[in-house]
Amino acid sequence: MCGLLNINMAYVNGTLIASYFICKRELWFMAHELTPDQDNSFLELGRFIEEDYYKREEKGFIVGEMKIDIVKQGDENVIIGEIKKSSRSELTGIMQLSYYLMRLKEIGIIAKGEVLIPKERKKIPVELTKEIEEKLRKAIEEIQMIIMEPFPPKLEKIPYCTHCAYREFCWS
Amino acid sequence: MSENIYIFSNGELKRKQNTIYFEVKDGNHKYLPVENIREIHLFGEVILNKDALEFLSQKEIILHFYNYYGYYVGSFYPREHYNSGYILLKQVEHYLDFEKRRYLALKFVEGAISNIITVLSYYRRKGINLESLDKINALYQNLFYQNTIEEIMAIEGKVREIYYSEFNKIIENKEFIMDKRSKKPPENQINALISFGNSLLYSYILSEIYKTHLDPRIGYLHATNFRRFTLNLDIAEIFKPIIVDRVIFYITNKNMLSSRDFEEKLNGIYLKESGRKIFISKIEEKLRTTVFYKKLGKNVSYRRLIRMELYKLEKHLIGDEKYYPLISEW
Amino acid sequence: MYVIMVYDINEERVNKVLKVGRKYLTWVQNSVLEGEITEAKFEKLKIEIKEIINPEEDSVIFYIFRTTKYTEREILGIEKNKKDNMFL
Repeated sequence: MCGLLNINMAYVNGTLIASYFICKRELWFMAHELTPDQDNSFLELGRFIEEDYYKREEKGFIVGEMKIDIVKQGDENVIIGEIKKSSRSELTGIMQLSYYLMRLKEIGIIAKGEVLIPKERKKIPVELTKEIEEKLRKAIEEIQMIIMEPFPPKLEKIPYCTHCAYREFCWS
Repeated sequence: MSENIYIFSNGELKRKQNTIYFEVKDGNHKYLPVENIREIHLFGEVILNKDALEFLSQKEIILHFYNYYGYYVGSFYPREHYNSGYILLKQVEHYLDFEKRRYLALKFVEGAISNIITVLSYYRRKGINLESLDKINALYQNLFYQNTIEEIMAIEGKVREIYYSEFNKIIENKEFIMDKRSKKPPENQINALISFGNSLLYSYILSEIYKTHLDPRIGYLHATNFRRFTLNLDIAEIFKPIIVDRVIFYITNKNMLSSRDFEEKLNGIYLKESGRKIFISKIEEKLRTTVFYKKLGKNVSYRRLIRMELYKLEKHLIGDEKYYPLISEW
Repeated sequence: MYVIMVYDINEERVNKVLKVGRKYLTWVQNSVLEGEITEAKFEKLKIEIKEIINPEEDSVIFYIFRTTKYTEREILGIEKNKKDNMFL
């Protein structure tokens, strides 16, 4: 792959990809180290689920700036997993994993992905498609632009706000 | 067990069996649920070792220390966990740029005076003759023409002087008489209550600052002094009338305190342990009281209102939304 | 929310359960703890307890109250540990 893209992508990590598909304002906050309220009940619950439900698996792999929840050897390929609290974040999980798969592909590792929702005993297989790759490339480009903005994107009420750890920040 | 613990006894605070353990000098002991505690206020003579401090730090529990007279002396503020170099730079920028600093200083005082007016208006509606309200309103109008931080502070000082002089009309219990505000030492019981209440409020706000990205050392109204916390003093101005003063009116008018709850020391009047406990119970109750927050669309406690005030400040600093102080409608 | 935790645990493990419980709730008397707790912390407590107990032999019951507004507490005999006291 071209080196230029790699340099640009160095600023993007999985969390930013996830945020991009949820809320651009959250994305901007995340990129500026404005972490959300850690006491937020939903966030706290999510953390425990991640920590405790998958104690046995090897987890928390860091590849470059990516933090992959779970890595295990499948029958043919390596399988990487992303843990989510509920189906609500299924889609963002898919995009996040696809992003990791794409990055791994670039360094010559062919892997498969799984979004894991332990609370619902769900496992969603993820494979990298041309369409998704295209979507991600566009996302990465746009993420760079949003991050460079001097101010966060304007406040907008979306359904995600209800359970968002930034809710009181945004709506104070 | 409450999220805030107040230790009046003398004893030792330790880490034991992965939780906090307090051993009273007389041999009694108690395990405290470490996962549910946010802050511990220490009034008694408490022994602590490094192991305990490390554990408290890891659990992000703040310790607030008070001296023999009930004055706030300092805090054990665990290594900051919400770090944002970005916010720090913005905080400094708004301090160094005079116009930006003036704006914030002005807004804090605007909030303070507005809330004083809210409190006084409530008692005027109840039929108390508070003619000073007009004077305060005039000073409030004047506020916006002040150029320096000192001038802004002077207006606030004048307003408070008038405001405190009205306490005698609001407080029906004639055991409590206010003449003028005296701090070190407080010369009468009302002054003792104000000093104690403000001390508590400073520490509560500091605890909330800890949960944000803000650095408590950089204040705007109160000159930044890099050895002391000042941002909590700034924010406290807004909340004193609606939290501390209302608690004072409540406990005095309900006769919950008497002169037996005070003592004279070093030519000053101070609250005794019995009085402090009554005050703390009521201020805790106040902090848990909820009010409807329109923009958020739900009820929030007064404690949460403090946090949200800090969020508003952060948004102002990053250029997201201009800061306007909380003006109580309740 | 407010939780009352009651347990009946094999002697071998009973101390471990008590230790975990005390991190989240206040000990009231033998085998009983209670206190205010957030939903997330309650989940965490349950996870920790599950790791200790033997589901064939031990039993832990949680009584959960959204609010304690309509409940009353009555004690006969001595109060072994003053609950919900923020003053020490």
